[in-house]
Amino acid sequence: MAAQNADPRKTFGAAVLEAAKSNDNIVVLSADSGGSSGFGDFQKQYPDRYYEFGIMEQGVVGIAAGMATTGRIPVFCAIAPFATSRPYEMFRNDLGYMRQNVKIVGRNGGISYSDLGATHHSLEDYAIIRMIPGVTVLAPQDPGEITVAVNAMLTHDGPVYMRIGNEPIPELFNRKPFVIGKGNVEQEGDDVTIIMTGTVAGAVLEAAELLERDGVRARVIGMPTVFPIDAELVVESAKRTGKIVTVEEHYVIGGLGTIVQEVCSERAQVPVKKLGVPHTYATSGPYQQLLAHYGLDASGIAASVREFVGNPV
Amino acid sequence: MSDQIVRELELQAARCRRAVVRMIRSSGCGHLGGAMSCMDIITALYFHTMRLDPANPKMKNRDRFILSAGHKCMAQYAALAERGYFPADVLNTYGKLGAKIPGHPDMHKLPGVEANTGALGHGLSISTGIALGLRADGDGARVFTVLGDGELPEGSNWEAAAAAAHFGLDNLTAFVDDNGLQISGRTTDIMNMQPIAQKFASFGWAVREIDGNDMAPVVACHDALPLEKGKPSLIVAHTVKGKGLTFAEDQVGYHYWKPSAEQLQKAEQELDAAIKSKEVR
Repeated sequence: MAAQNADPRKTFGAAVLEAAKSNDNIVVLSADSGGSSGFGDFQKQYPDRYYEFGIMEQGVVGIAAGMATTGRIPVFCAIAPFATSRPYEMFRNDLGYMRQNVKIVGRNGGISYSDLGATHHSLEDYAIIRMIPGVTVLAPQDPGEITVAVNAMLTHDGPVYMRIGNEPIPELFNRKPFVIGKGNVEQEGDDVTIIMTGTVAGAVLEAAELLERDGVRARVIGMPTVFPIDAELVVESAKRTGKIVTVEEHYVIGGLGTIVQEVCSERAQVPVKKLGVPHTYATSGPYQQLLAHYGLDASGIAASVREFVGNPV
Repeated sequence: MSDQIVRELELQAARCRRAVVRMIRSSGCGHLGGAMSCMDIITALYFHTMRLDPANPKMKNRDRFILSAGHKCMAQYAALAERGYFPADVLNTYGKLGAKIPGHPDMHKLPGVEANTGALGHGLSISTGIALGLRADGDGARVFTVLGDGELPEGSNWEAAAAAAHFGLDNLTAFVDDNGLQISGRTTDIMNMQPIAQKFASFGWAVREIDGNDMAPVVACHDALPLEKGKPSLIVAHTVKGKGLTFAEDQVGYHYWKPSAEQLQKAEQELDAAIKSKEVR
């Protein structure tokens, strides 16, 4: 499988380049971040649509809003915390309140910049960005989904935040159209529903196999639109399996798990177990070890689900 | 530039200042001082300098105006109403529930407003982005923005200042409404950003200093834009906060004004008299 793994940043950059071929309005903005975001080819092919600003994320987001008022579709990709927390008020006012058609992409999301430490981790981005009315939050899960999500993002009229990782990832799913606001049942099962988003999908699918061996049949839902969430699918799954586990590379508060709980508290009162990173500054280390440390590897996820369904090994 | 043009703009500015107090009568309070200090610049923009069509506020090749210091919005509302973007009676809704003219401008509520400013330090970045987009469009449209002197410590201004100069945006002009006061006192005491002109010049802007409440140099400056080809233009407009109301001029207490009935009447009388004196010339 390793040979088939793709760098999500390169997949993302290639998808933007492809879309830009048929849409002259697409422009790329960089805060000394474009090369590492997969935009090397874009810069070569469309130098007059590639704007380098140096390290000034607040300025870039405001400038992107201004460019969007003239009909451009600016795409700005940077390390996730520097594209979200740093320019948050510009995101809120200039993109959200002004309803501008700008696409912000946080790469190296979650704890994937593992060894660089908490300044470079982004564990609150789903939470803070979805608090801005009118902003769509996406976290596609494999190379194929990143490609179709980029197209959906660029076609959608309005501000979008997309988060991707940096660890090479395999194709996990059959290619299907990307519909913003819709989740997908990736595996059927009746004992428990596992709802996942973003970079954890590979580990969740592996965990589901481990659970199956233990006789726990999980319904696995991929939720690449974190917000607005596919509430119908959440409710249907809650009613069907009676229990939900959420898995995300994000704080256990504020993100996918909290959003699922909000839906369930209104429409289907079932127990929800949230897996993610505890609400503290994450430690540093090699990425896979760090994920295992927080129980976000396949065996850790499987163990948490087993305990939750009352079937610990 | 003829004396006639200057006299007409002075009369128009007087009418706009009167409209500000009309809004304060509606609301009972408002950001008076800054609206009055930048009024001559904004009047000249809307009545002399900018390419615009009030009947077609989204005209593609229109010049754009961004009020970075969004709390001075009564100045923009007054100019837009006087220019015919919307009926003047909308000014009587200032401070009312759901008004199209809120305490900071909202582009989705009012024709002629191009950005939702109010949080300080945003307007220059937005203007820089617009200028980049308009330059690529190639139809000669320009961007004008008014910053308050009190918002200059916001770091994001200097990010935009670097970018606008780096990209050589000579279709962008920023006015600093240098009235010398902010809510807590003298700008030089709160955080001294002087010398403003030299700071922008060192960032690569073409700069000029003018008396921002004297219409002749204001218009002459507008007519001289861009100050230098290949550079954004920065105008330090030396102004008087509360200009036009003698009791409020250069007084820190009139940044935000909640007048008594007597004060309001006095203000209206003074501004009515100013209009009359300019009409008879």
